[in-house]
Amino acid sequence: MDSQNNTLSKQTTSFGLSLVVCSLVNALLVIAKEISPAVQSAMQKLTGHHWVTHSAIVVILFIVLGFFFANVAISVNRLIKTIVTCVLISGLIIVGFYLIAG
Amino acid sequence: MSEIILMAHVLFGVACIIAAVWVFVDVLNASERNQKRIQWISRAAAIFMWIAFIIGGYWYVVFYPADKAIILKGPWPFAHEYFMETKEHLVIMLLLLVTYLPIAASNNLVANKDARRLVLWVSALVPLLGLMIEGHGAVIAMGVKVALLAKHI
Repeated sequence: MDSQNNTLSKQTTSFGLSLVVCSLVNALLVIAKEISPAVQSAMQKLTGHHWVTHSAIVVILFIVLGFFFANVAISVNRLIKTIVTCVLISGLIIVGFYLIAG
Repeated sequence: MSEIILMAHVLFGVACIIAAVWVFVDVLNASERNQKRIQWISRAAAIFMWIAFIIGGYWYVVFYPADKAIILKGPWPFAHEYFMETKEHLVIMLLLLVTYLPIAASNNLVANKDARRLVLWVSALVPLLGLMIEGHGAVIAMGVKVALLAKHI
């Protein structure tokens, strides 16, 4: 008899998707603020330090999207693939950007 | 004081990595006996990471500008231009990953094979990214050291 229960909790899926989006937003925000002095300056003004603003935006977005995606359904395989791929791509964007522009 | 804050940042970062490795190994052998422990250790990993992040963030904003000036005048300016710039942004991604770990681990890992695979992937990414970030920190510290050495020779 198959006693496996292979469904994930709603929060696991929704915060997983939020992790995916926020990882990419984090990487894209790096490029935006490094390329545009106006963005960097605005982020600086908001909290006194661009990195604090950057962190706050990503963390708040993670929480908000975690609840926003509450009713989204996705297979576990796809969720795992999306998380791993997007985390690696986001990391490569950040590393690659500073290797090229740094 | 600055050094104590910095060492506490590293200490909690390492504690987070160790906790994530612990979760990975425990999930490989998930059973009724260790299910609660997996959930507690994954929560501990998240708490360690948040402490490391807040302490490190405070040090970065308050104390790092002086180190940055020293690094940029020294022979290893890339310690700031590449390593610190990369580290300060990769760490945000690590924070999200570790925050997600206890959420993923809250599923029934004994009965749910897919949840086990998810936790294994997330807990594997944490030490990989964490060790990379620790290495970046070492290069940044070395950047300060070689700059100060170059000044005295």
